[in-house]
Amino acid sequence: MSKSKKFTQLMAVVVLILGFAVSSAFSAETLKIATLTDMSGPYAELAGWGNINAAKMAIEDFGGKVLGMDIEYVYRDHQCKPDLANQKAIELYEKEKVDVIFDCPNSASGLAVNNQALRYKKIFIAITSGTTRYTGDLCNRYTFHWAYNDYVLATSAGMWAADNLGKKWYTITADYAWGHDLLKHFSAALQKRGGTLLGNEMVPLGASDFSPFIIKAMNAKPEVLALLNAGKDTVNSTKQAVEFGLRKQTKIVHALLFPEDIKAAGPEVFADNYVTASWDWKVDQPGSKEFVAKWMKKFGRPPNWFNAGNYSCVTQYLLAVKRAGSKDPQAVVKALEGHRFSDFFASPGYIRPEDHMRVGKAYILRAKKPSEIKEAWDYFQIVGEVPMEQAYMNSKDTGCKMGDF
Amino acid sequence: MNIQFVIMQLFNGLILGSIYVILSLGLTIIFGMLGIINFAHGAFYMFGAFVAYTIIAYLIPNFWVALVMGPIVMALLGAACEAFILRRLYNLPPLYVMLFTFGLMLVLQDFIRMVYGAAGVPFRTPSLLDGAINLGFMFYPKYRIFLIIITSFCSLGVWLFLSKTKLGAIIRAGTDNSIMVDALGINISRIFTFVFGMGIGLAGLAGVLAAPLQNVSHLMGVDFLVDCFVVVVIGGMGSISGSIVGGLIVGEIIAIGVMVWPPMAHTLIYIFMAAFLLIRPRGLFGREAFHE
Amino acid sequence: MNKGAWSKQKIILISATLLLAIIFPHIAPYIALASEILIFALFAMAFDLMLGYAGMLSFGHAAFFGLGAYTAGIILKNVYPSVPLALLGGVIASSLAGFIIGFLSIRRRGIYFTMVTLAFAQMFYFIAFKWTGLTGGDDGLQRVPRPRLGPINLQSQIVFYYFLLFSVIICAIILVRIVNSPFGKTLQAQRENRNRAMSIGYNVDKFKLRAFILSAFFSGLAGGFYTLLLNFVPLNSLHWTNSGEVVVMTITGGMGTLFGPVLGAVGIILLRDIISNFTESWSFIMGVLFMAAVLGFRSGLIGILRNKLRLSI
Repeated sequence: MSKSKKFTQLMAVVVLILGFAVSSAFSAETLKIATLTDMSGPYAELAGWGNINAAKMAIEDFGGKVLGMDIEYVYRDHQCKPDLANQKAIELYEKEKVDVIFDCPNSASGLAVNNQALRYKKIFIAITSGTTRYTGDLCNRYTFHWAYNDYVLATSAGMWAADNLGKKWYTITADYAWGHDLLKHFSAALQKRGGTLLGNEMVPLGASDFSPFIIKAMNAKPEVLALLNAGKDTVNSTKQAVEFGLRKQTKIVHALLFPEDIKAAGPEVFADNYVTASWDWKVDQPGSKEFVAKWMKKFGRPPNWFNAGNYSCVTQYLLAVKRAGSKDPQAVVKALEGHRFSDFFASPGYIRPEDHMRVGKAYILRAKKPSEIKEAWDYFQIVGEVPMEQAYMNSKDTGCKMGDF
Repeated sequence: MNIQFVIMQLFNGLILGSIYVILSLGLTIIFGMLGIINFAHGAFYMFGAFVAYTIIAYLIPNFWVALVMGPIVMALLGAACEAFILRRLYNLPPLYVMLFTFGLMLVLQDFIRMVYGAAGVPFRTPSLLDGAINLGFMFYPKYRIFLIIITSFCSLGVWLFLSKTKLGAIIRAGTDNSIMVDALGINISRIFTFVFGMGIGLAGLAGVLAAPLQNVSHLMGVDFLVDCFVVVVIGGMGSISGSIVGGLIVGEIIAIGVMVWPPMAHTLIYIFMAAFLLIRPRGLFGREAFHE
Repeated sequence: MNKGAWSKQKIILISATLLLAIIFPHIAPYIALASEILIFALFAMAFDLMLGYAGMLSFGHAAFFGLGAYTAGIILKNVYPSVPLALLGGVIASSLAGFIIGFLSIRRRGIYFTMVTLAFAQMFYFIAFKWTGLTGGDDGLQRVPRPRLGPINLQSQIVFYYFLLFSVIICAIILVRIVNSPFGKTLQAQRENRNRAMSIGYNVDKFKLRAFILSAFFSGLAGGFYTLLLNFVPLNSLHWTNSGEVVVMTITGGMGTLFGPVLGAVGIILLRDIISNFTESWSFIMGVLFMAAVLGFRSGLIGILRNKLRLSI
């Protein structure tokens, strides 16, 4: 290679490096927000663009600025892979220099981000994933948990169903950390209300054939069958339970069930099943109908409660920044801790300082029969409410040792 | 656990096994004849289910029509794939063809995700087969019984075709020695196209048959793919009877595993396969190693 | 092609690569991605030893990578936070596994060998999944520290990258020497014609086993590095799709060249990151690229370099 060619190449490299240095100097005083979500994996329909749009809308409605700073927004796809989530969190905190990461579906991924938040000393607010470890053994001063957790899903549905559907239960559980967690809380809730767990089946994740477990469950003749799984497993297990005629004698309660799941499988599959939700688009809370109307106008369909949770969370974060008077993570954390508020999503809502869980009431939903569905996405009816003190675990029992910064 | 449950579970094993049989038949004849390790086989299975869904949802809302048309469409798709694309890869090392089919798998899956979304689409059992039959001690879904019957017919059909017809004989000869068959003046490339189409058609059939039982989504073929390879290896690469027996064995192993210790059920088939291969390296009915 | 000679072309190529590697973290999308690329480059080179040189397609290499990752993680978190100790533990575990699995699977050849390796990897995955107390189950092993290496502060991502670069270069040099040694030549000989190699008097199985163990050693090392990079061990590292990743990288890059798989790792990880930032249909695009690559370039990415740029490597 000629000498001049080599020199040119070297200069090109130098210019490149200088360019990066200069550009990063210009990104000084803005508030940078990021959503890390699943855009191409199994949660793409539930989270994905819905949650990104929720964050964008929240920023827009806030005015696009806070404390005189412009709000910049980025998003990344972690495809529901924990190692990728970890890498993206590093990219967002270090390269993109974001001040906060929102969302992160899939608990294993969220826990990885949780760890990076602690390493980079920046805020992470988990919304779509439900593990109680965020507010339990892996809690830290920079991580918050919004919208819900596994305990709420299990306990609310457990208590309500034990009171209203029957005391003799059987459970089919997805055999991994999340499923085990749910089972523990469901059994506890059931016991508290004087019910009995006749038996449990642990089913490997992603199993396509649930028939042996359903047969065993039917043999025990329970009044309620709890399906402690999500996504594809929920669809498969429910489809096959209906196939075997289980629903003729037994009511079904789900850990997680979304309008998207019902649409994907067909409403007749889930008719008359029950589930907990932190919110639903039919809920009659102040601000709820307006939010739904605005969302429908923009996106042509109502938001699910993950989307709503993201909107609420981003807005509350921005309000906390305002209250703190700075975007410094430690100041914002302090402004969030102990804050009581009321918005369309959580009415009332409270961010517990002991474990950083946002608590609020929980709703019990019943999936409608096809004949009851009057309009698109009208899949659920709200049948009950559980107040926040009962829905969420007592902060003394979470096992969280909230340390220092 | 009573005896009735055990019988029920063994019966369930046959159901699961039947799907494996149809899927693996396709995989094994493609491998046997064309030497292609078709990584996209699970994706074709999934595609078949979606073709059937599309027929039912948008063209003719009839399961039986979709059951016939779906595999035919897939067979044509497979034949087109072979004739226009795969044909060019035959002089490449097998690993490159494998990489190609891997890329094809990604394309098929993501295409379906782009068009139909990630959550999946509804697929009901046909109304004729709705509900369960009273077997005395248990109600058993009619559709599953239908499944066993139809897969038995199909397996028998494939076996008869390959062993009793002239075309079948040519295919079997071509599997053994394609150069010789070519030298005898038979248009071997047309046979290749036919065989690949048939293999993909079988994959599509498995997809349509499995659709009412499962969540029909773009990822429904991923887990089945690896299991299929296990079946084919246990049965012996390229062996029809091997796929049939292997598929049923794998289905039963999973069913038995579920009775003994559910978490282990799926891993059990790998342990079984590894142990089996150590004793009998060519599988049940396989011939001398292909890639050596 | 004179492999031993230090041709002018070779020196320029190696220097250019080194220079690129040194500035890479500044031009890559983010530093941690550059580190990830280095780690998978090492994994791919280790894999190529088996596939390209010894001619054995293993679909269970995630087992060695994952074992290295978990052992390093467990040592760092629960035994003693020392980087050398963790990495050493990782390679011992993976090499041991390589010996056992290799010993049992070498008897089989072709697709049967491949499936046996897959079976073993699946068993490891299952064990890690169930043994939650040790591995964290599907949550993975969380909060793994990245301690200092003597005076070097590895916490900084850029410092960690250069530490990785140094380590991977050393590994690359070792691997190059292995494949060019008589041992390496014998491996290639038995790949070409097993019977002839045996008739000359080589104990072919012994050579294959040694290659297996060496490959497992470096794969485990890559796994250990991965744990340090992520500060946690994802269960995915043991999943068969991870084995699939490295197979794809090696074939795409060009097997039997050691450098090819490096290109494969760089290309695939970079492309995937860049494309997924633009569209959620990145999987579709990657699939099309793979198919086009096979249709177009007959011997992997390295084939392009050889033919189009007329380099002799």
